[in-house]
Amino acid sequence: MITIKFTLNGEPVEVIVAPSDMLADILREKLHLTGTKKGCGKGECGACTVIMNGEAVNSCMIPALKALDAVIETIEGIGSTDRFHPLQESFMDEGAIQCGFCTPGMIMSAKALLDKKLCPTREEIKEAIAGNICRCTGYVKIEKAVRAAAQKLTGLEGSK
Amino acid sequence: MKNFSLVGKSVRRLDAIEKVTGKATFTTDMSLPGMLYARVLRSPHPHAKIMHIDTSEAEKLPGVKGVATWQNTPREPFNATGAMAFDLPDMPPPILDQYIFDNVVRYVGDEVAAVAAVSEQVAEEAVKLIKVDYEPLPAVFDPFEAMKPEAPDIHRCPVAKNMVGGPITFEFGNIEEGFQQCDSIIEETFKVPVQKQVQLETQAALAQVSPNGKITVWSTTQAPHPAKMILSKIFGVPQSKLRVLNPPYVGGGFGVRIGLSGKAEAIAIALAKITGSPVKIVYTREEDFTSTDTRHAGQITVKLGAIGTKLHALKINAVLNSGAYCSFGCEVPAVCGMLSLNVYHLPFPYKNYTGFSVYTNRTPAGAFRGFGNPQSNFALQSVVDMMAEKLGIDPLQFQLQNITQAGDQWFLPYPCTTSSLPECIEEGAKSIGWERRGKLNKPGDTKLRGIGMAVGTHGSNSFPGNVDYGGSIILVQQDGSVTVSSGVPDIGSGTSTTLCQITGEAMGVKLEEINLVFGDTLNTPFEIGSHASRTLFQAGRVIMAAADDAKNQILEYAAGLLEVPAERLDIKDSLIYVKDQKEGKSISVREAAFHAHQRNRQFIGVGRANPMNAQPWHAHFAEVEVDMETGFVRVIKVAAAHDCGKAINPQIVEGQIEGGVLMGVGYATSEEILFNEKGKPLHNSIHKYMIPTAEDTPEIEAIIVETDEPSGPYGAKGVGETSLVPTAGAIANAVYNATGIRFTEIPLTPERVFKKIREHKKM
Repeated sequence: MITIKFTLNGEPVEVIVAPSDMLADILREKLHLTGTKKGCGKGECGACTVIMNGEAVNSCMIPALKALDAVIETIEGIGSTDRFHPLQESFMDEGAIQCGFCTPGMIMSAKALLDKKLCPTREEIKEAIAGNICRCTGYVKIEKAVRAAAQKLTGLEGSK
Repeated sequence: MKNFSLVGKSVRRLDAIEKVTGKATFTTDMSLPGMLYARVLRSPHPHAKIMHIDTSEAEKLPGVKGVATWQNTPREPFNATGAMAFDLPDMPPPILDQYIFDNVVRYVGDEVAAVAAVSEQVAEEAVKLIKVDYEPLPAVFDPFEAMKPEAPDIHRCPVAKNMVGGPITFEFGNIEEGFQQCDSIIEETFKVPVQKQVQLETQAALAQVSPNGKITVWSTTQAPHPAKMILSKIFGVPQSKLRVLNPPYVGGGFGVRIGLSGKAEAIAIALAKITGSPVKIVYTREEDFTSTDTRHAGQITVKLGAIGTKLHALKINAVLNSGAYCSFGCEVPAVCGMLSLNVYHLPFPYKNYTGFSVYTNRTPAGAFRGFGNPQSNFALQSVVDMMAEKLGIDPLQFQLQNITQAGDQWFLPYPCTTSSLPECIEEGAKSIGWERRGKLNKPGDTKLRGIGMAVGTHGSNSFPGNVDYGGSIILVQQDGSVTVSSGVPDIGSGTSTTLCQITGEAMGVKLEEINLVFGDTLNTPFEIGSHASRTLFQAGRVIMAAADDAKNQILEYAAGLLEVPAERLDIKDSLIYVKDQKEGKSISVREAAFHAHQRNRQFIGVGRANPMNAQPWHAHFAEVEVDMETGFVRVIKVAAAHDCGKAINPQIVEGQIEGGVLMGVGYATSEEILFNEKGKPLHNSIHKYMIPTAEDTPEIEAIIVETDEPSGPYGAKGVGETSLVPTAGAIANAVYNATGIRFTEIPLTPERVFKKIREHKKM
């Protein structure tokens, strides 16, 4: 067992991990952040997507040891009920949520895109969430929500 | 249409905040102190007898707390689906052909044993230490092979070799006589694939057995009350002491857990009883693929006759592959025939259907969104398209001339009261640009475009196939806020929002004052669950009845306080007011409830309703592009026009339509589970199984053409399954329009399409 430190949602954390542990399990089981979902454990569904050092990653495929010194964001860290992230807001407004199991991963993939690019094209949005499987929505309202959030963010940037 | 305050409004989903913040709890997120983790040993053989199981090495592994096999678990037969819990008294009894573990395994992936340990890793290690001595038995994978006398018997089948139950027949008029009168007849046979639900949350359960014998199980079921009934029979526990609940969210369903979640609840309880600790089981994605119900694959033959351009006789035959267990193997063939036979109105009902499912040594088939209807609809809509071409008539006009319309007679035991199908056809055609059909390609094009259409119907609950009722209790709290209970889960379809909208509308209470208790057998009256497009339609009606009861009590009480007769009072925005006075007396529901409380009274509404079924209608139009050099079919757009009755929450209705369309696109073009010659599924992961991603999504236009269905709550009908039903037919017809090649087998994978293009020497 090894102790690792990293930054999680802006706070320093220290956690004891085994070499075989995956980041998704550490987040869910040890840090009790179950917003990060597991739908396959093989990096195929995207439900476990978190942002690690600015990139969207499937946390079920990241050995926990790789989190050493990393900056990690999960769904729990991007907004709160009194101050939602624009993506959270637009997912609610556009009806982009059904069962909600893919939602956290979907939002994190979209956030990784919008963090880098404020005005993505529709193709870029689709590409960014292509690794996130949603079986409920047909992606129509999800794509719309990401576009709406991008517009909101551009507005916010513009007003700064 | 009436002026509603909450109905018809796209209010924000009430579960949205929890779901966007990562705080929504699903079964897979649950944990309890001292909880153990379970893993399952599954059969590598398609058919074998278990001669001996040695669990001693597994039990010796540190951290292992218990091992379950057929030898130490109940020998109580069951059917893991609601088929066992909501059968009707005048129909043959349900087929109970499963045990938690049996000494015979019948497909690759069948349950052999399960281990409970301190971690999933230890349980996984222990599973590998179980030694099983199998005696392989002959296996059969094709339903037609399975019906031959020399085939192995998978179960004892009294009617015919390996036939699940008996054939389902609907017969009206002498069908041969009908065909003799026709001047045009087309007969064609179609093959449909195994499709998988791939709901995002795999099957899961967490069971706790208390020392006094009470059992609580949190699970992913879409039918908690039927699950309670099944588990009660397996474990011999009174239903009153068995609580099945969602925690409260479920990561999708699409039919895969109408009853038990695979066998998750039963395995978790069995291990909890053996170990004395809470046990959690989460199926791996591979297990979810190999060992939980799929859509029935099969073969559908349609024979259609016309006199002039009027349809005259219709015969459908279906042979479906049930896989190793019955599941809904009797109900699916019934729905497969019953709905497609009623899409068209024939002058005399020369209509005939025979269908059944057959046991094979493959992953069991069961309920999947559409429940047999997508299979027959694809076949029927292809043949209707063929007939229109044969008769030289525009398919759209041909459809309009022959579809069943509101008020038409049919053989279902409830009337076709409402239909906006003609308007759906008109709106869908406008959206796709039907007039462009046939003018999309020029000579020499290697990518050919085409436009096709298909229409269909479905149901809004399980009537008349199953028991289908429910109850609801409304408690007006001491502050006037409202707790409403319904046994239906919210599997993502928005139930927990729309049922609150209905409660608020019916009682005149503000939405923010309402709390729905759902998906929990302890706190709700019986309900058959969230499936069959019934949740809003059926539970909504029941809740309206409870709301009426509670509201009447409030009004009668308020009548005394306001000194105005109750019939002159109404409630709006949680305020009781005098209807015929602009500036009259009023009192808030809060004040009335507290006033009553101080005088030893609470308003409690009880609702029951057994509405008849109601028929939603839909017309889908697809535009495709077929790459004649590679066989790749790209769906460009699907226009999906739906008669869902009144849309209680239009945004949620659109979401249902869009999601179902994409599942239908997958059914038509890419999704398929194939098996090798030893019965091993070749598509057992999301990666291998070609599920549409955001990048594969065509433009989808969801169009709602409302009707006011008198049997539904505020005029609503079902919409949960409808959008999957006609999508494959519309796409296949569009591919024909593009290429001139009629595909009788889906999915239209590049390989399958390319082969046909070569055969037809089209390139």
